[in-house]
Amino acid sequence: MSDTTTTTTTTTTGGFTGDPAAALTVTGASGCCGTTPSAAVTEPTATSSAPCCGTAAEATAEGSCCGSAAKTEAAAAGHGCCE
Amino acid sequence: MNTPTIGPGGLDRLLAGIDADRMTATVATLAGPAFTGRRAGSPGGLAARTWLDRQMAVLGAQVTTAPFEVRAVPQIHAAPEATWHDGNGSHSLVFGRAVMPHPASADLPVVRRGGLAVAGSGDPVGRWLLVPAGMSLFDAYGHADGAAGLLIARDTDPDGWHYTVLAGSDPGPLPILTLDRATHTTMTTAAGTGVGWLAATTPIRRVDVTAANLHATWPQTSGAGVQVLLTAHFDGVGDHPGLRQPAASDNATGVAVVLEAARILVPALPEGIGLAVALLDAEEVGALGSAHHAGQLRRAGATPLVINVDGAGHLGAAAAVEAGGPVHRLLALLDQAGRHTGLSLTAGPVASDNRRYAAAGLAAVGIGAGMGGYHSPADTPERVDPATPAAVCRLVVATVWLTATSTSTLSSLIGD
Repeated sequence: MSDTTTTTTTTTTGGFTGDPAAALTVTGASGCCGTTPSAAVTEPTATSSAPCCGTAAEATAEGSCCGSAAKTEAAAAGHGCCE
Repeated sequence: MNTPTIGPGGLDRLLAGIDADRMTATVATLAGPAFTGRRAGSPGGLAARTWLDRQMAVLGAQVTTAPFEVRAVPQIHAAPEATWHDGNGSHSLVFGRAVMPHPASADLPVVRRGGLAVAGSGDPVGRWLLVPAGMSLFDAYGHADGAAGLLIARDTDPDGWHYTVLAGSDPGPLPILTLDRATHTTMTTAAGTGVGWLAATTPIRRVDVTAANLHATWPQTSGAGVQVLLTAHFDGVGDHPGLRQPAASDNATGVAVVLEAARILVPALPEGIGLAVALLDAEEVGALGSAHHAGQLRRAGATPLVINVDGAGHLGAAAAVEAGGPVHRLLALLDQAGRHTGLSLTAGPVASDNRRYAAAGLAAVGIGAGMGGYHSPADTPERVDPATPAAVCRLVVATVWLTATSTSTLSSLIGD
């Protein structure tokens, strides 16, 4: 291992705009990704039925696991969505 | 094993070697017509996987293929026909813009004609039912005994295309079409007059397929120490009959980033750090490739740090980062790399393969840096800003480099 501080002093912009640990608790992170009932493998099991973005009510109303309005917003914002 | 130059000079020399043009070419190839949108289990998906296998072999990798079965992948097998009449004249609905078979639709390959009605109002028998806003598909079925089919409103993208969805509910007994909101509103009005009708098909079926991940390792980077796994899914939602869906931003860009990062890092990695790459299949049908791989890693007792890239098409103010598992040190390194490369990061949902690895207990981050288009014909290579994959690649290379050279971490209650 080496001195680490010298590797990061050349630029002061960039990096997390807030607490990096906030990435552990992002809204929507309980996501639907991989929980679809229409395509399945045996491992690992699904852990959540929440929508990956949007509200559960919106997703249910559209017969999808992800509300399309929220999906549009997420895609436009660059966050993407699992479906 | 290499003896790298530690410090800003060593890293900056690596970063200077990142080739944006190479990534642009990779995106263009993966998004090209030969790979037909790369839906899992499709001939185009297999062709893409074969091409990627060769690309990683060129980088000196030992490449293995890990197949797995996927059940019931939706496939629109013909352009749907849809013509409706408002009492004064008929209107053809354009596939992909005004109309799309719903992923939970029954397969209706021959035209079915029926009057228009609103679900929950009047006799449904033999009619196409417009499902009002706020009514769930489940509830709509409760009003649809004997109906010809269901019509659901959906938002379209800024270019007016319907999104293609592969993950979703199992099909029910009725044909279902999604309509753009303006068409749905107009047809709902016509349904109120009692004279409107629709003649339409919903040609959609489910196919059981074999998908496969590609795993790459390099002998010179497989020693003991910290292991880093770079991942990106190579599958897309696939072309429809007569509609190309190139899947450039999602996720040819992520694949391009990972390949370029590996090209830069493999010859230069310091001692004590191992590098592996997994190019994942079947993300679009529910992150099944990463589910398969995460299970393999768990059974093997492997605990790599996972960096997943999904969407590096058009960077906004900052790249989104979602983290899971014992990831505090990796987040600290990512932050450090972001500051070094000048890429701003923000906590945000990246609903992708990283979640499968995190759910398996691994330290995993997902990085998303915007889509030029998304799950539609608008997701073309021309919509990819070449500066975006380059910026994300710099971030990834710097993070891996710092994994070997930095002791940074964040305060963690669980001590990771």
